[in-house]
Amino acid sequence: AQSSRMKTNKKDEESGGNVYAHLDKTSVLQECRAFNETPINIKKCTHSLTKLIYIIQQGEPIGRTEATEAFFGVTKLWQSKDVNLRRMIYLAVKELAEVSDDVIIVTSSLTKDMTGREDLYRAAAIRALCKITDTGMLQTIERYMKQAIVDRNSAISSSAIASSIHLMRKSSEVVRRWANEVQEAVSSDNHMVQYHSLALLYQIRANDRLAVNKLVQKFSKNALRSPYAVCYLIRIATRCLVDDDQPDSSVFTFIESCLRHKSEMVVYEAARAIVSLPQTTPSEIQPAITALQMCCTSPKAAVRFAAVRTLNKVAMAHPNAVMSCNVDLEKFITDSNRSIATLAITTLLKTGAESSVER
Amino acid sequence: MADFDTNPTSLYSIKGIVILDQDGNRVVAKYYDRNTFGTVKEQKAFEKSLFSKTSRNTSADIVLLDGVTCLYRSNVDLYFYVLGSTRENELFLDATLTCLYDAVSVVLRKNVEKKALVDAMDTVMLIIDEICDEGIIMETDAQAVVQRSALKSDEVSFSDQSVSQLGFSFIESANKQFKWSLLK
Repeated sequence: AQSSRMKTNKKDEESGGNVYAHLDKTSVLQECRAFNETPINIKKCTHSLTKLIYIIQQGEPIGRTEATEAFFGVTKLWQSKDVNLRRMIYLAVKELAEVSDDVIIVTSSLTKDMTGREDLYRAAAIRALCKITDTGMLQTIERYMKQAIVDRNSAISSSAIASSIHLMRKSSEVVRRWANEVQEAVSSDNHMVQYHSLALLYQIRANDRLAVNKLVQKFSKNALRSPYAVCYLIRIATRCLVDDDQPDSSVFTFIESCLRHKSEMVVYEAARAIVSLPQTTPSEIQPAITALQMCCTSPKAAVRFAAVRTLNKVAMAHPNAVMSCNVDLEKFITDSNRSIATLAITTLLKTGAESSVER
Repeated sequence: MADFDTNPTSLYSIKGIVILDQDGNRVVAKYYDRNTFGTVKEQKAFEKSLFSKTSRNTSADIVLLDGVTCLYRSNVDLYFYVLGSTRENELFLDATLTCLYDAVSVVLRKNVEKKALVDAMDTVMLIIDEICDEGIIMETDAQAVVQRSALKSDEVSFSDQSVSQLGFSFIESANKQFKWSLLK
């Protein structure tokens, strides 16, 4: 043990104090054999498990046999009551799901954790369970998923909804049956739950144009609390305007009303949407240009960057509309953020007269 | 999951969350977009050019690189990156980066440095897992993220080794202070 400690210290120095920088797969897998020992040494096992997850996340190729052996070791750790270790187990299950065989053997353990009393387990257990489940098994946990979607704990609700979005790709007909619960979740007070559930509700109804239009009408009238959800609604509304042969003018009115939203994120999303629409008149895009101009004065680099990048795109189609922003754009030529400066210059080349570039 | 680049109603807008050290070496990274970052080689190459673009200019915190919007923030010897689709609302990506930085900062007790981060690697992985799920932004509220990746009070006991190793438990420090106040 003494010599190995010396060795790791030397290794630490080489890697600038990062024990994870040069992990050797063979020795990590060797360490994971300790998972089978009883009693479980929590500290040691947590550390080995962290290393195992680390090497998988960093793309170390692991053979199926090795992965399966490590996975079965991980399942032994379920006997421990340590919260942190349990949370790392869920991470390991997700990381090993694609490289190991027979991962479904943890279904009942995960189902137990997802329906148990420990909130810190439930959300993460749902995410792990949905990662390993297939359509056939999904039916057996369907009841729990429906309950989780409308759970009052936002972590649980968001996890169930996001997992359902993943599941839409392989078991969409099962997820479609949860539309009522998803719709209920849209009225959640939690910003992220509202955002996730609105997105899932839309994806459940995406093929039914009439239903999508109804959804936009409904939620544009009773204001959504979550700025993220409003941004998503703008995206659906934009799609309706682009896809429909005879778009409803109230949909455009809704997007335009978002230019006066109290959240900067929503204002920018609405402005971006309006200038991206085909066949808009200069008078229709003017309010959006004004909103983008406001964003140009933001102290946040991300907001200035977003605004100038969008103006740059508009300048290709409507150079005259952007001319009103030339003075703001000129200030950006010396912006500390090089990307912003470059975008401003290329925009000015489209909109500016010679005089402004010379200035 | 790079659906977002082609489908504006997709939720898969995060391509990766990366933390590098002052030499541009990877401390921890989680990639979600297999089309853009399918291989380790591609990831490392991207990190290299990302670092060379961002390490010189610490004032800027957003850059467009190879069709990816990268938001970043640095402290002492760490660089935090959120890589997102260029079609995603930059303010949403910005909120995600702020959440990542703040959550890590709370867990490391404001000591945002490489050594402290490496010591709390398991918790940092849990934080990343709470913020983003397969490319979907899960949470942008740092307080909620910390709560979800932290220990519960009734789980804390002094004989429990995992507490000291976790490097994060307000309850523990409060308990200690309480003990000291009794001893004084």
